[in-house]
Amino acid sequence: MIRGRRKDVEPTVLLGVTSVAGSRVALFLVLVPLLLAGSLLMGPSGIGLPDLDSPVGAAILNLRFSRMVMGMLVGSALSVSGVVFQAILRNPLAEPYVLGVSGGAGLGAAVAILFGAVAAVPLSLPVSAFISAVLTLVLVYWMASRGSGGAPSVYSLILSGVIVSAICSSVIMFLVSTASAEGLHNVIWWMLGNLQPVALEQRVLAAVLIGLGFMVTWMLAMRFNALTLGREMAHYQGMNADLVIFAGLLAATLMAATAVSIGGMIGFVGLIVPHVTRAMFGPDHRLLVPLSAVAGGVFLVLCDAFARTVFAPVEMPVGVITALVGGPFFLLILQRKMKHAWVA
Amino acid sequence: MRGKLVTRDSSHVNGNMEIAYEGGVRVVALDIEHVTAGYAGHEVLRGMTMQVQQGEFVVLIGPNGCGKSTLLKTASGLLRPSAGCVRLFGRDVSGLKPGERARLLGVVPQKVESPMAYTVAEIVMNGRTGASMPWQGLKDEDYVIMERAMIYTNVLSLADRYFTVLSGGEQQRVILAMVLAQEPQMIMLDESISHLDINHRYEVLRILRRMNREHGLTVVLVSHDLTLSSEIADRMILMHEGVVRASGLAHEVLCADILSRVYDCELLVQHDALTGTVNVSGVLDGTGPGGQVSRSVHVVAGGGTGIELYRRLGVYGFRVTTGVLNRMDSDAEAARALGIEAVLDLPFSAISTEAAAAASRLACQADVVVLAPVPFGSGNLVNLDILRSALQCGKEVWIADGVAERDYTEGKAAAAVAAELVVAGARLWSSAHELLLELRKSEK
Repeated sequence: MIRGRRKDVEPTVLLGVTSVAGSRVALFLVLVPLLLAGSLLMGPSGIGLPDLDSPVGAAILNLRFSRMVMGMLVGSALSVSGVVFQAILRNPLAEPYVLGVSGGAGLGAAVAILFGAVAAVPLSLPVSAFISAVLTLVLVYWMASRGSGGAPSVYSLILSGVIVSAICSSVIMFLVSTASAEGLHNVIWWMLGNLQPVALEQRVLAAVLIGLGFMVTWMLAMRFNALTLGREMAHYQGMNADLVIFAGLLAATLMAATAVSIGGMIGFVGLIVPHVTRAMFGPDHRLLVPLSAVAGGVFLVLCDAFARTVFAPVEMPVGVITALVGGPFFLLILQRKMKHAWVA
Repeated sequence: MRGKLVTRDSSHVNGNMEIAYEGGVRVVALDIEHVTAGYAGHEVLRGMTMQVQQGEFVVLIGPNGCGKSTLLKTASGLLRPSAGCVRLFGRDVSGLKPGERARLLGVVPQKVESPMAYTVAEIVMNGRTGASMPWQGLKDEDYVIMERAMIYTNVLSLADRYFTVLSGGEQQRVILAMVLAQEPQMIMLDESISHLDINHRYEVLRILRRMNREHGLTVVLVSHDLTLSSEIADRMILMHEGVVRASGLAHEVLCADILSRVYDCELLVQHDALTGTVNVSGVLDGTGPGGQVSRSVHVVAGGGTGIELYRRLGVYGFRVTTGVLNRMDSDAEAARALGIEAVLDLPFSAISTEAAAAASRLACQADVVVLAPVPFGSGNLVNLDILRSALQCGKEVWIADGVAERDYTEGKAAAAVAAELVVAGARLWSSAHELLLELRKSEK
């Protein structure tokens, strides 16, 4: 319509692009590589760069690098997924597992571990966790849509998710309580989450799936902004709100399920990192989505470095560390910055 | 754009949002044709037909629940009609792409809230959502359009403030800026200004009027403020029970006769010869200008059918008595709460002849006896005898119309008695409002 004249007109101000956020983002992005490099220096074998000339040292660095990649993948998947759930459900308590992803994945994994598939068939653990997570979402979405005639309401989604999660947990508990001590240990260990590097092909596949989910999410970022005003208002502003909600839920679940399938059920990241990122940089999803991906990744990488170093040679499950170490730190930030994130 | 009826001058980037009419012909901006729509199980719009011409400033009025909000949802394609057709600028709304729809129609709902702490500029930015594809970001033009919308609504200085800390009037202007940033051809507002104080209300109206007069923006405003509406509307549309009841200039639609019937209450309409506005007001003082009412009314009711009558008669200053009622009946409870003298009988049982006789005495002391739309069974058939004795005492008797439909006695005994009473001089009523008018008329 107005092409051709584009050059004549320039906005006097770029509304909504504030310089404060700009400088903060720059500082954050400078810090990220430093923090990641720092994580490579930490490990159970000691703090500092291992001797790269020896094959052992090279292997150690290689292992640390692999774990860093795992941490980045899982952390960013979980926190972007949390961003999406919080936007679509308009609820600060929403997190990647709210629609039953954790319950479903946990059940799939528990079945695979306890019935011996893990020992017999390679890759059966992540595959069964992933498939049962996605199936759970489908079930939750279908249950929530029934009776509402079309797209489900936010409340019925949350309620169905909570109910299905509870049922899954009960079944897991039942299976665990009847399992052998070894099976019990394996299931619990998996559920606490850890970032032991999985096979390379598996990592590549996970990266592709998470990348796909991330691209969809980032493309919809502006629409998530509109969705926080409610489905009705979003519709008026010229988008297919139901389609965006569905695509967003699917992408977020895809990311969360992939993360769970390679890293187990790591809690806290998907709930808190979005909040802290929002508090620091504002709730505009065009920035929030990429920044929380980076923040979630870095946070999990650091927690992992901490988990494998501090109690060396014993390795803590990273899921324990995320809340234990991250909790107080984030509480401090939220206390001071919450008014920039959610309405009081 | 298909249709090419509406072309937009490329110069609008320079702040000129003029809309040109091709061949000077006005276009039908909104065409609602025999539309039936509603929610699961109940229809709100019932074969509604209306049109809004391009460039018109239309105010839509009607009582609560008449379907105004449903109309807005249907017009914007949020609600799919079960029958009929909705066209925006000649194009079926269900066939429009979301982005195209947003460029034709902007909607300002009653209340917009976001749980997250967005700045004003970020809120306004949402108006450009429909204009950009998911893989594109905002372009320079988008920022120009946002800026202009914010200048029109005078919120540019608020750009970096948080939306939620603003006052109601400021928030409403920000939402208006957001919707104007869609660059819609038509804008619909759903009672968005009702909760504003008079200053901010007029401020929003001035913005709307200016966009309407200077830029040809079609405006449909849903409002409860009849007087204010009459000032600003090119045309008013009165909705009632899912259809258009009246449409035309303010003084044609706002006449006491139509309004009283639609709103089911007494309304005063005064024309201001000086300004041409129409002033509509309710009646606070129940006795009206005619002076004190001292007349008494005996109401024969039951099962909750009398509550509305007790309340209204009381408001208008009538002295009310009632009976026979069964104890614990909702009418009996209401009478007790309102301090109305009542003849009561045992709960859940047939009315005794003694009670009926007592009620008949009460009815003969009253000036008027009114029968509420109470359903009849063998247990309360005796109540009709009260009416008969009132007629014999020479009292004015009013019977709620349609006795036969709520007659559950064997052989439709109640309907037969009612018909006989009508022959003997009882009169029929169907709307409480009209009944009250009659009662007050006969009093003078």
